[in-house]
Amino acid sequence: MATKRPKSVAVKAASATSGLMLPTFHESTTSSGLTVLAAQRGPLPLVAVRLAVRAGSAVDPQDKHGLADFTARLMRRGTARQSADEIDEAIEFVGASFAVGSNEDLLSFYVTTPAEHFPAMLSLLGELVREPSFPEREVELARERALAGFANDLDDPSVIADRAFTRALWGKHPYGHDVGGSTAHVRTFTREDLVRFHRERLGPKVALLSVVGAVEPGLVAEEAEKAFGAWKGGPDKPEQPPAAGKIASGRILLVDKPDQTQTQVRLGGPGFRMGHEDYFPSAAMNNVLGGGFTSRLVNEVRVERGLTYGINSYFDMLNVGGVFAISTFTQTERTREMLDVSLAEVAKVRESGISAAELKKAQRYLAGLYPLRTETNESVASVIGDIRVHGLGDDWVEKFRERLFAVKPKQTQEVAAKYLFAKAPLIVLLGKASAVKKQLKGLGSVTVVPASDYE
Amino acid sequence: MAKAQAKTAPRTADPILQSLFDVQEATLPNGLRVRLLANPQTPVVSLYTFFQVGSRNERPGITGISHLFEHMMFNGAKKYGPKKFDQVLESNGGRSNAYTSTDMTVYYEDFAADALETVLDLESDRMRSLRINDAALTSERQVVMEERRVRVDNDITGIMDEELGTLVWKAHAYRWPVIGWMKDIENITRQDCEQYFRTYYAPNNAVLYIVGDIDPKKTLALVRKYYGDIPKGPTPAPVLNAEPEQKGERRAEVRHPAQSPALMIAYRGPSAREEDTLLLDILQYVMTKGEGSRLVKKLVYDTQLAVSVGVDWGWRVDPGIILFFLELKPDSDPRKVEEALYAELALLAAEGVTERELQKAKNNLRADHLRELATNSGRAHAMGHYEALLGSWRDGLSLPSVYAAATHEQVRAVARKYFAPERRSVVTLLPSAPEAGEEVAADGKEVA
Repeated sequence: MATKRPKSVAVKAASATSGLMLPTFHESTTSSGLTVLAAQRGPLPLVAVRLAVRAGSAVDPQDKHGLADFTARLMRRGTARQSADEIDEAIEFVGASFAVGSNEDLLSFYVTTPAEHFPAMLSLLGELVREPSFPEREVELARERALAGFANDLDDPSVIADRAFTRALWGKHPYGHDVGGSTAHVRTFTREDLVRFHRERLGPKVALLSVVGAVEPGLVAEEAEKAFGAWKGGPDKPEQPPAAGKIASGRILLVDKPDQTQTQVRLGGPGFRMGHEDYFPSAAMNNVLGGGFTSRLVNEVRVERGLTYGINSYFDMLNVGGVFAISTFTQTERTREMLDVSLAEVAKVRESGISAAELKKAQRYLAGLYPLRTETNESVASVIGDIRVHGLGDDWVEKFRERLFAVKPKQTQEVAAKYLFAKAPLIVLLGKASAVKKQLKGLGSVTVVPASDYE
Repeated sequence: MAKAQAKTAPRTADPILQSLFDVQEATLPNGLRVRLLANPQTPVVSLYTFFQVGSRNERPGITGISHLFEHMMFNGAKKYGPKKFDQVLESNGGRSNAYTSTDMTVYYEDFAADALETVLDLESDRMRSLRINDAALTSERQVVMEERRVRVDNDITGIMDEELGTLVWKAHAYRWPVIGWMKDIENITRQDCEQYFRTYYAPNNAVLYIVGDIDPKKTLALVRKYYGDIPKGPTPAPVLNAEPEQKGERRAEVRHPAQSPALMIAYRGPSAREEDTLLLDILQYVMTKGEGSRLVKKLVYDTQLAVSVGVDWGWRVDPGIILFFLELKPDSDPRKVEEALYAELALLAAEGVTERELQKAKNNLRADHLRELATNSGRAHAMGHYEALLGSWRDGLSLPSVYAAATHEQVRAVARKYFAPERRSVVTLLPSAPEAGEEVAADGKEVA
């Protein structure tokens, strides 16, 4: 059997001065071409596994939004050898857990298990990934549950606001639909759709396995070969979505939900892709504007005016593009005040930048807390998957704080001018339209749609 | 007449947990208890301060004050004035938050290891000399009202949960929501807050947990330096549990715009310190932990009566509730779903669980327990949680042995005792037609 022995790679202990230590990673490849990264780490007798596959919602077929996520969820509902009940029992009896995470770029399968059951659980993961059977009845049940879920989502104002925001921001780009899809599309899913998606989109050459915890790297390589050596299917190379086109701007979408006493507020404009050189100056600048608990937005909107319980700004970074956005909510009557105050704070930073003292504070804050992202087996397995999949460089964690501290005030001004709504943002509001609309005079053209459009 | 002695499970500490908890303990002369645990794996530290005060210590008129007060704790003390707490903390590579429950208020920070002394300075400053000003109180009141709107008034589970509280409890302070009634939030005064502070935020009503990249000896010296001179407060008055016995099933309906009906069903349970609590933990796992658990399998997969079913069995100082929440499909008949749930609970009471289900629950409780302890924050919180609810954090170390010793017969007895109809309260959400959209019609096509 062609198991390559693992070799260690240079993703490990940082310099003593920064004090940030990651375990040494050992890399191997299964005979099917799956890259495996393993790190031994104690003291708890637990192991975390992540299998990341480059088959997120961006590769959903045109008329089948949500298919990637739906397919991934159905993979544990039966294989050529075992029924859903048998699989549940095998995972759950030993105290392991199995979860699926989907986003626009990736499907991720997460397993955490007591160390003694690692070989059995990895073998089961291989079985689910290689040979799911997608039983007709399970597909039907899952579809019905998903449809009921979409209906019930209409009662969750923040979910509907997010959905409306994503669609309006990205338009027809593959990032422009909800990862979970919508009622109209999910209703049409057939077993054949899932079988085809699985065969065409999931395979060892567009996947990465990371394993972190109380297990020896040699054993990880051997078990990975047993579990995934026979994995066939999927493309040789990941399919990239088209470069992000124009992000919507300068309009207001008002989603009407008349029973609300609050308005959900989303503001957005263009940002940048994962791994972009603007990342560090933008992270520092954004921390000052709307990142931490002492950000300008939190101070002006929450502390000074009591307008909300929460507000934050963020850069959402994906493989081929991203957005800069603000998310908050306020009582219906004060919607306009919320918009005016928030936009004024953004404009201040866009036009005048941040102070040297603010930059220093942001750097210390982000650097001080960064090690928390490497605290658990799960987070180390995740971070290493992201580094490889998005090409961030194996020294990403080690150099993170150094790069952050190298950011100069001038760079933060440049990114502020570039990303903080240089063009008027897209504004999405969800609430009682009859009370909100009259507050919006002078802000731009307003389109009112019913919340039920977003089922 | 004393009842026959119940068979007590052997409480021995789990060896793996024991090895994770090499804790230094101290009590300062002012009554402040301190627990220190070194973990050099990453250069970060978690500090938790547990105050034994929550909504159970409130009274009508000032409901929600524990939670409102939690917000006020970030608004300035003598040395670090308004806005300074978070500014200084964040500038030193740390973040903070807090939560309030029925039984406790918990403040916590995660921070870079070299910020330890600064964090102790900040935390001790507000315990020693919190200053409450009217402007901050007015603004914070608005924030909390907005928090109430998002968590209760515009959230179906929030609305149902509030209804359930007043149904289950007639006399006990668990009756009102932790966030408080809107009118009370509006009317709590600065004097109320100041009195609350003097009563409950004294060192003798608090425990400090510091876990992470620390030297315990030096850390204890720093704690003495910063907290040692804070005067002891009065001993808070005990809370009387005057709750009368429930004599039969209680029901309420909530009509609210919604897509589907939903159900919240509560059974009165024991208090955290009672042995039954741990048996109910096991039962909770058997019922709803995982896709293959009894209720999920039966109600969601086999009969498809519910979209989801969850159980919340949360430990409390006084007897709490075992809470079932069921999300239904738009055209469901909630009565039919209720009956299906009761049939499953009756089956548990009659036959108990299988040996395999029992073993599976034990395996999962242990694995989840270990997962909880993977971070500094998790370890500090776990210690605080056990100490606040069981009396000693050390009792947490022996939980695995108690679970491991639980028998089929004990679990069945617990199901029989607690899932009796006369212990039950039911809230049904019935969708009402949404308010008409007034004069604003959808005037445009979707932006895309």
